[in-house]
Amino acid sequence: MLTSTNDRAIETHSLVKTFHTKHGFLTRTTRSTEAVRGITFHVNKGELFGLLGPNGAGKTTTVKMLSTLLIPTSGSIHIFGQDILQHTRDIRKHIGFTFGGAHGLYGRLTAIENLRYFAELYALPPRETHNRIRELLELVGLRDRGNDRVETYSSGMQQRLHLARVLLHDPELIFLDEPTVGIDPVGARELRSTIKLLKNQGKTILLTTHYMAEADELCDRLAIINHGQIIAMDSPSSLKSKLTSDAFVELKTSGENLPSVKNVLAQLDPDSEVTYNQHAFVWEVNIRTRQPGVVMELLAPLLSSNLIQTLGVRNQTMEDVYVSIIQNGGA
Amino acid sequence: MIGNFLRLGIRQMNVQLRMRVLSLWSLALFFTQPAIFSAIGMLLARAVGNTRPDLVYTVLGAGIMGMWSGLVFTSTYDIRADRREGTLELIVGSPTPLRRVVGFRSLLNILAGSTSMLAAVAAALFIFDYSFSGINIPGVVISFSLLLLALWCMGIFLANILAWSRLSGTFVDLLEMPIALLCGFMYPISVLPAWMQQISAVFPIRWGLETLQDALKGSLIDSALVNKWLIALGVSFVYYLLARWFDRKVHDHIRITGELHSI
Repeated sequence: MLTSTNDRAIETHSLVKTFHTKHGFLTRTTRSTEAVRGITFHVNKGELFGLLGPNGAGKTTTVKMLSTLLIPTSGSIHIFGQDILQHTRDIRKHIGFTFGGAHGLYGRLTAIENLRYFAELYALPPRETHNRIRELLELVGLRDRGNDRVETYSSGMQQRLHLARVLLHDPELIFLDEPTVGIDPVGARELRSTIKLLKNQGKTILLTTHYMAEADELCDRLAIINHGQIIAMDSPSSLKSKLTSDAFVELKTSGENLPSVKNVLAQLDPDSEVTYNQHAFVWEVNIRTRQPGVVMELLAPLLSSNLIQTLGVRNQTMEDVYVSIIQNGGA
Repeated sequence: MIGNFLRLGIRQMNVQLRMRVLSLWSLALFFTQPAIFSAIGMLLARAVGNTRPDLVYTVLGAGIMGMWSGLVFTSTYDIRADRREGTLELIVGSPTPLRRVVGFRSLLNILAGSTSMLAAVAAALFIFDYSFSGINIPGVVISFSLLLLALWCMGIFLANILAWSRLSGTFVDLLEMPIALLCGFMYPISVLPAWMQQISAVFPIRWGLETLQDALKGSLIDSALVNKWLIALGVSFVYYLLARWFDRKVHDHIRITGELHSI
C-alpha cells in the first residue's frame, strides 16, 4: 500500500487538460480544445465517488489523467499522497481502471487467457494467479465461461470480465468509467451489487456514469461536471435537498383533451414550471411545483371526467437534480 | 525477478502467437514474400540465360525479404490493433514498461518471420536443386544470429515510432522497401552507388546481412568478417539505446497528446 499522510485517496488541484490538434497540410494550424478546465476535488479513502456529466463534459479525460494515462496540461494530482507525475509506476501498482464498452480485451483469447495475460503485466505471482482468476470469475459470474473465447461474449459479459481484470492485482483505488453501459438491467444490477461489495471491502472507487439512479444508489458523494468544470459537488441527498424542495405532478392526456388541461394549468402560480412531451397520440405533462397538493386538487376533476388518463405525484429524483444543474449551470 | 521476466516473455509471445501470428494472413505473408521474390529472381536469371537464380542474393535474399516484411507488417499491425482494441491503454497503464512488451513481441515476430527463410532454404533445396556444401557453417550461425539481433533492434526502434502517433504506421510502411533496397537484400551492396552505401551503413541489418552473405559464399572467419560482425553488433546496440531513449519520449508524448486509443 502506498503511504499517505492523510485520508485522501485522490487529490486534484486546478487540473487542466488541453488537447492540441494540427490541421492543414501546407499551412499547419493548431486547434486547441480545453477538455478539463481547472478541476479541484478530493476523494477520501474508502469512498465511492461519482463523476456525472453530459457527453464531452470531461469525465473520461479526468479519469484518464487520474489513472496515469494522460498527463495534465497544468495542475496537480496526488494519489494516496504521491504526485502522479513523479511516482507513475508505483501508483500504477495500486490502481485499476476500466473504460466502458467492449474494448480492452483480446477477443481471440479465452477469459482465463486474458486474465493471465494481464496478471503478468501486474507481475502477480503464478501461484496466486490461478486462484485469483478462479475467484474473480466466480465473483463476476463467468466461472462457467472462463474457457470460452471473449469474442463469443455478450457486451455485458465483456463488461463483467473487465471488472475481473481490474481486480486482478487487488488495487486499493478503482476507476470505473461507465461500467454498466450496454448491460441489460439484470446484469447492471448484479454489477452494482459487486461495486457495493468492493466498497464494503474498503476499496476507494471513482465511478462515472450516465445513469442517475445508479449514481444515487451507489455514490457517497458526487460531482457534476460540464464543459470541463465541476458545477456541483456533494452527497446525492444533499444535492437533492439543496437544490429545491419541488415535487413533480405528472399526467397523461390525449391531444384532443390537451386544451382543457392547459386551461386548468393556466391557473397555477407563476413559479410552477410545466413541460409538454408528445409520445405518439399521448401527451405527457410534467408540472414542477412547490404545492403539489394544490395542483392535484385542480386536476382531480379532469381525472374524474376522463379528460386525463393518469395523474400522479413524485419526489425529485437525481435525474431531475442533474438536469436542473446542467441547464442552470450549477447548484 | 528473472522468473517474472521470463514468465512475462513467455506470456507475451504466447499471446502474440495466438493473436497475430497464427492467422492465415500472417502465414501467407511469411510464405508469399519469398515465393514472389524467388520467382522474380528466377525470371531475371532466365532473361540473362541462366537456368537458376543466384542462391545467396536471390533465393535466400527473398527469405530475408520475407523476414523483414514480416517484422514491419506485424509490428505495424500490433500497435495499430492494440490502439484500436483499447489494449494499448491497458498495457501502458500497467506497471510493466511498454518497451518490455514490445521487445518480446518483436522477438516473436522475427522468429515467426524466420519461416520465410526456412521456405527459401526449402525452395533452394527442392525447387532449384542447390546444395549447401562449402558454406562456412559457424560463420553462417554467428551471422544469422547477428542478423536476428539487428532485426530485433530495428523492430523495437520502429515500434516506438508506431506508438508515437495514430498516423505513424503509414510512415513505417513507407520505410519497408527503401530499407530493403538500401541494405542489399537481393544483390551485393557493392552494386549500389557510394552515397547509397554510406546511407545503408546506418542500418544494422545491412551489416548482419552482408556477413551472412559472405559466410554463405564460404568466406573464412577472417579479420574482415569479424570487423563486420563487430560493426553489426555496434550499430545494433546504438539502435537499442536509441529505442530505450525514444521509449521514454513516447511514454510522455502519447500521454500528452492522448493518442493511446483510436478515435
